[in-house]
Amino acid sequence: MSTDPDFTGPTTENLVFDAAEAQRRRRGSTLVRIGDHLKREWQLYAMLLPTILWLIIFLYKPMYGLQIAFKDYSIFRGVADSPWIGLEHFNTLFNNDQFLRAVKNTVIISFYSLLFGFPMPILLALMFNEVLNQTFKKSAQTIVYLPHFISSVIIAGIVITAFSPSAGIVNTVLGWLGIDSIYFLTKPEWFRPIFVGTGIWQEAGFQSIVYLAAIAGVSPTLYESAVVDGASRWQMMWKITVPSIMPTIIIMLIIRIGNILEVSFEMIILLYQPATYETADVVNTFIYRQGLQGGQYDFAAAAGLFNAVVAFVLVMTANTISKRYSRTSLW
Amino acid sequence: MSGVSLKGIVKAYGALQVVHGIDLEVQEKEFVVLVGPSGCGKSTTLRMIAGLEEISDGDLTIDGRHVNRVAPKDRDVAMVFQNYALYPHLNVADNIAFGLRIRKESKETIASSVEEVGGILGLTPYLERRPADLSGGQRQRVAMGRAIVRRPKVFLFDEPLSNLDAKLRTQMRAEIKRLHKRLGVTSIYVTHDQVEAMTLADRIVVMHDGRIEQIGSPMELFLNPVNTFVAGFLGSPPMNMVNARIVAGDLGPVAEFGDNKIQLDQVASLQNSVGQDVVLGIRPEFVTVADDTVPHRVSVEVDLIETLGSEALIHASLQGDPFVIRTETVGQMNVLDGISGFTIAPHLIRVFDAKTGVSLPGQAVGQ
Repeated sequence: MSTDPDFTGPTTENLVFDAAEAQRRRRGSTLVRIGDHLKREWQLYAMLLPTILWLIIFLYKPMYGLQIAFKDYSIFRGVADSPWIGLEHFNTLFNNDQFLRAVKNTVIISFYSLLFGFPMPILLALMFNEVLNQTFKKSAQTIVYLPHFISSVIIAGIVITAFSPSAGIVNTVLGWLGIDSIYFLTKPEWFRPIFVGTGIWQEAGFQSIVYLAAIAGVSPTLYESAVVDGASRWQMMWKITVPSIMPTIIIMLIIRIGNILEVSFEMIILLYQPATYETADVVNTFIYRQGLQGGQYDFAAAAGLFNAVVAFVLVMTANTISKRYSRTSLW
Repeated sequence: MSGVSLKGIVKAYGALQVVHGIDLEVQEKEFVVLVGPSGCGKSTTLRMIAGLEEISDGDLTIDGRHVNRVAPKDRDVAMVFQNYALYPHLNVADNIAFGLRIRKESKETIASSVEEVGGILGLTPYLERRPADLSGGQRQRVAMGRAIVRRPKVFLFDEPLSNLDAKLRTQMRAEIKRLHKRLGVTSIYVTHDQVEAMTLADRIVVMHDGRIEQIGSPMELFLNPVNTFVAGFLGSPPMNMVNARIVAGDLGPVAEFGDNKIQLDQVASLQNSVGQDVVLGIRPEFVTVADDTVPHRVSVEVDLIETLGSEALIHASLQGDPFVIRTETVGQMNVLDGISGFTIAPHLIRVFDAKTGVSLPGQAVGQ
């Protein structure tokens, strides 16, 4: 510190203050910093924008309409002006046999889809991975991917034709074996196997791409090392490939469980008929019939909300369990 | 005898030949290092020995048994990979036990082997950890544990230390050397690092473009390289190469470059080579620095002196080409300040044919 009486420069206190002030100015407010960040990275945000808009327009904005689940909604009064009626629709819903049947069917169909449909793409991917002949591998992959790119309407048409009692290939083959024609699509007990089978045929190949990508990411030296250690192809598949793609399998399982109530309902609508409602009617088709065909929008909204809440709880639970036991999770 | 013998080993991918007929005899318990620049075929050769690559031509025998068509698992070799090749979903103990489990060894054997190997490699405290929770050095030790535990006839190392930092590499190098002394298993080790080769090997195999340039003990290769490639590859900093011409002198042949003349009368084959263009190979360590007072010195222009502590690297130029001198610093600092050239004992100069790069005969330096 200067003791010179003529010293006119800044005092230590002033210097400290100035330094702090300069630092404060340099750091800027949160808003300024966000602004700087956006200015720097705007290209990335621009790329994100369409998705955000899509989410807002098609998923968040419609949530405004969810309130009609608790209202006596009339299209003439509009969403805002319809009177509140509390949980009345939910009461009706849980006393509605058709709804309860739809919930039961949804769970059963989903369970079968998960049980038989989930492992199938994994098995396919593992099998493709073992195929050495590249030409065979590529043609086989193309063939199993193909159904995914065909419209559900056409798939349903193919299924209906294949199971037709008069000209369908299935009944024709049964006829050769001396078995009488079966009216598959009108029999409730045949609906679920046909639906689950169709789903697997349509999607298993395409879903296997995810697992093939995961398998491609496994370091080749793991296999080389195992070869030197004396592992057979079978052992390498179970001891290296499967554990290596386990995180992917778990993530896919979580997503699948979250969507367990989202049975592909356009396929159900295309395949079911009143004769098979008993086993085929699911929550989404129930909502469709009540809401769009019956005009009971409020009641259908309540059913839809119930569906969404259950799905939300399921995905949260699956994620939490997975995070705890396998260190793998969606978030 | 668990040696490895390669006779005329060839590797070709279609029309492209990458290994051109390699002959190599690895004795039992010997530590042989294959060294060479990237793409010289050393890793391919190792992988052919392991059975990971098919042998296009030639004969490979391990322990006297012809194994060209034998599956890798039946060759009784163990391989350590550059990126460790550890299974991320298994802990250290299970990683080490993997090979034994595959071979359906009894639980007791596996447990005791894992314990023993863990002890040898200092991995006992980490047996329950997953590879992701280990440091690079520890991972490399696990990888070696996996090789050791099977008690194979031959160890194959494919650049095992390349992924480690310099300090850890030095440490692991010493560990590998100790391990080899302790276990006495025939080892073939691939690296592009000549320091690793020099320190680890009983014998070094220098490879270049799919061919073996020279095989010999580290000192043999260091002192008596057969050609300019080997001379330039081994040693750090590498050997200086000086273009010169042989002229007749009073006492015999003299190498002349610029204004400098060095007597080379001890190289028998030079007696009748007056007029021949040669390359003089001069190791940076073999020269003695000289200032203006020293007669018969070779003059250089000093660009930069790097002091490393006990020694210094002098970067200079000789006839416009870079020339590096490595010298001790202790008691020499005064000389270093006034350095203007060097002297060298003629028998420490290696003379190569300028056209072929091959060492001229009759100039072996004793160790």
